Amino acid sequence: MFTDKIELKDFDKMDPEYKELLGHVLTIQADCEIGGPHLYVEKMLPAAPTKLDQLIVARTAAEEIDHFRKVARVAGDIGVDVSFVLSQPNEKRFVDTFRGLITTWEDNAVFGFLIDRVGRYQLEEFYDCSYLPLQRILPDIVTEELGHIEYGYNKTVELIESGDEGKAKAQKAIDYWYVRALDMFGRTGSKRSDRYRYWGLKRRSNEQARQDYMNEVNPILKKIGLKVPDPNVGRHYI
Amino acid sequence: MPQPVENLDKLDEHLKAVVQALHSAVKQGIPHVREPQIVDKAVADCKEILDEIMAGKVKEWLN
Repeated sequence: MFTDKIELKDFDKMDPEYKELLGHVLTIQADCEIGGPHLYVEKMLPAAPTKLDQLIVARTAAEEIDHFRKVARVAGDIGVDVSFVLSQPNEKRFVDTFRGLITTWEDNAVFGFLIDRVGRYQLEEFYDCSYLPLQRILPDIVTEELGHIEYGYNKTVELIESGDEGKAKAQKAIDYWYVRALDMFGRTGSKRSDRYRYWGLKRRSNEQARQDYMNEVNPILKKIGLKVPDPNVGRHYI
Repeated sequence: MPQPVENLDKLDEHLKAVVQALHSAVKQGIPHVREPQIVDKAVADCKEILDEIMAGKVKEWLN
């Protein structure tokens, strides 16, 4: 296992595999950061239920754009240009979850609750990672992601408490996003995931991170009166 | 040291300005959510800024 800590000035000396993996993971991270606003801004900014919610949609998008900027800086400094993801259509996003459009408020709420939470997990993979410029941008980004998760959770609970119709809508959205959230962790037994861990770029295997996520989310779903979807139905990456 | 990407600083500065403008519009609107004239303008400002980012015409931003 590689245990050194790398600064930008050391990057040129690194193994080609390290360079390739770091560039790849930064590109995906940048794509996911900007992929969120591309999913919800178009329909949710005008259609959010209150003026305050409209402004929070805009603020959330602003924070995600800023996360993209920070990741793009770390990538750009090592010569990896991620700016192309700013203009690529949703259907070309690296992660399936971001290929589409959010058109209902319940989907927007659950997206924050479940998918931004996966985002937090992905970022936590880089805690104490071997590339210090990446490590340094994490605290502010994770703090903002926690705000998105809390907002999504609160809006999901509001829906549930609004009555049977709201609860049914929330459950339907959970059924849709839960399996997508699990897929976002990638394949069990992924060799690439092993190499990320070897180079100190990630902490957990895909399956361990996914299990940790389920251990966190499932009790929350039960607490708010929703059913936990079958984790094996509708999955693409088992 | 690795060779940084061309226009990295320009893109960074542009996005920083976009984010600041969005936060500024949101801050103007939030205390006035019950005053349609003010909050509607704030939402419209956010929409205008976000529409530009969503359009993703990066080359135009950098020129």
